Amino acid sequence: MTGREPWRLLLTWDGEPGWNMGLDEALLASLDPRPTLRFYTWKPHALSLGYFQRFAELEPLARDCVLVRRFSGGGAIHHADELTLSIAAPAEHALFRGEVRRSYERIHGLLARTFADVGVRATLRGASAVRSDRAESGMCFHRSTPLDLVWDERKGVGSAQRRRAGRVLHHGSIKLAASALESGVSALRTHAPGLEPVALARALRATFERELELEFTREEPGPAEQELAARRAPFYRSEEFVRRR
Amino acid sequence: MRPNDRKYTKTHEWVKLVGEDVVVGITDFAVQELCSGNEGDLVYCDLPEPGRSIEAGETFGEIESVKAVADLNAPVAGTVSEINVNVEEHLEILSRDPWNQGWLVKLQPRSKALDGAELMDAAAYEAFITASKH
Repeated sequence: MTGREPWRLLLTWDGEPGWNMGLDEALLASLDPRPTLRFYTWKPHALSLGYFQRFAELEPLARDCVLVRRFSGGGAIHHADELTLSIAAPAEHALFRGEVRRSYERIHGLLARTFADVGVRATLRGASAVRSDRAESGMCFHRSTPLDLVWDERKGVGSAQRRRAGRVLHHGSIKLAASALESGVSALRTHAPGLEPVALARALRATFERELELEFTREEPGPAEQELAARRAPFYRSEEFVRRR
Repeated sequence: MRPNDRKYTKTHEWVKLVGEDVVVGITDFAVQELCSGNEGDLVYCDLPEPGRSIEAGETFGEIESVKAVADLNAPVAGTVSEINVNVEEHLEILSRDPWNQGWLVKLQPRSKALDGAELMDAAAYEAFITASKH
């Protein structure tokens, strides 16, 4: 025993978009008592709408994209050159305890300290204005809040949470390179050329272990989680759900 | 001290018997967790259609703040008789008066006895949220 808190680490590269969302739902509903950190990428690339977002707001952009809707809120995200992460844990866990704002500060602090290791000085936006905000865009990266992580005066991480039945799932989308749908946003490769999702995930894992004094066990999703993810995947990419509003 | 005329859940809803109906809302603690005192941070609330039958503990709606979507859970079983459309259109009501004007749904309850094992009185709820902060 190391005395460190046990966490699960899931690495699911090139996940099908509906399955990616289904697995996050399964992690939110998971009966595993350990917190889970999951890193993932998307194949094919996809546009995810926020839970309450109106489809009409995105229709012009959505035409040429694979579409899903997330169960977390906020604006749409183009999941292309990025590392996506999800953190699932009970709401009373030290990472999530208290106001939602506090959990963002804790998680974004961990991300910012990792980015510093690859030469990126990211800070919470606070009261500053950022150059990536676009009033008419439905994209998450074109709308910022004081809690968002910015560098080069532009938003570079999209974040959202779902809170259900005493548990929290935190979504994070970290831009490695900007996509055509998200013009003018920050990306890590501007300062860290060639940075790949696997390397960034390794660096984030090390920060989490060091700063939260935890110990990861690298695992695959459990059988019940796999079953739920597979069953729910068609729903997340269905016309019914994607166009629910 | 929070109102003692109602019961509370661990997921921060309250339920109060009013005549033949029960009224359900969310607590000041839930609102504060979601929006940290910035009433403009609450952006959307989705409430059920009247007539829908809901089990105790079932999700009956959702509320979105700028940074989180949270489920709304029914403290007791019943049939939705009315929803507060004012709240859907003016979410700031939840910050200003979660106990009265900020009610969310009225249910025709399956049982009028608010004695479910999961329901707490104001003192027990106070102790629960104090414990959850540490």
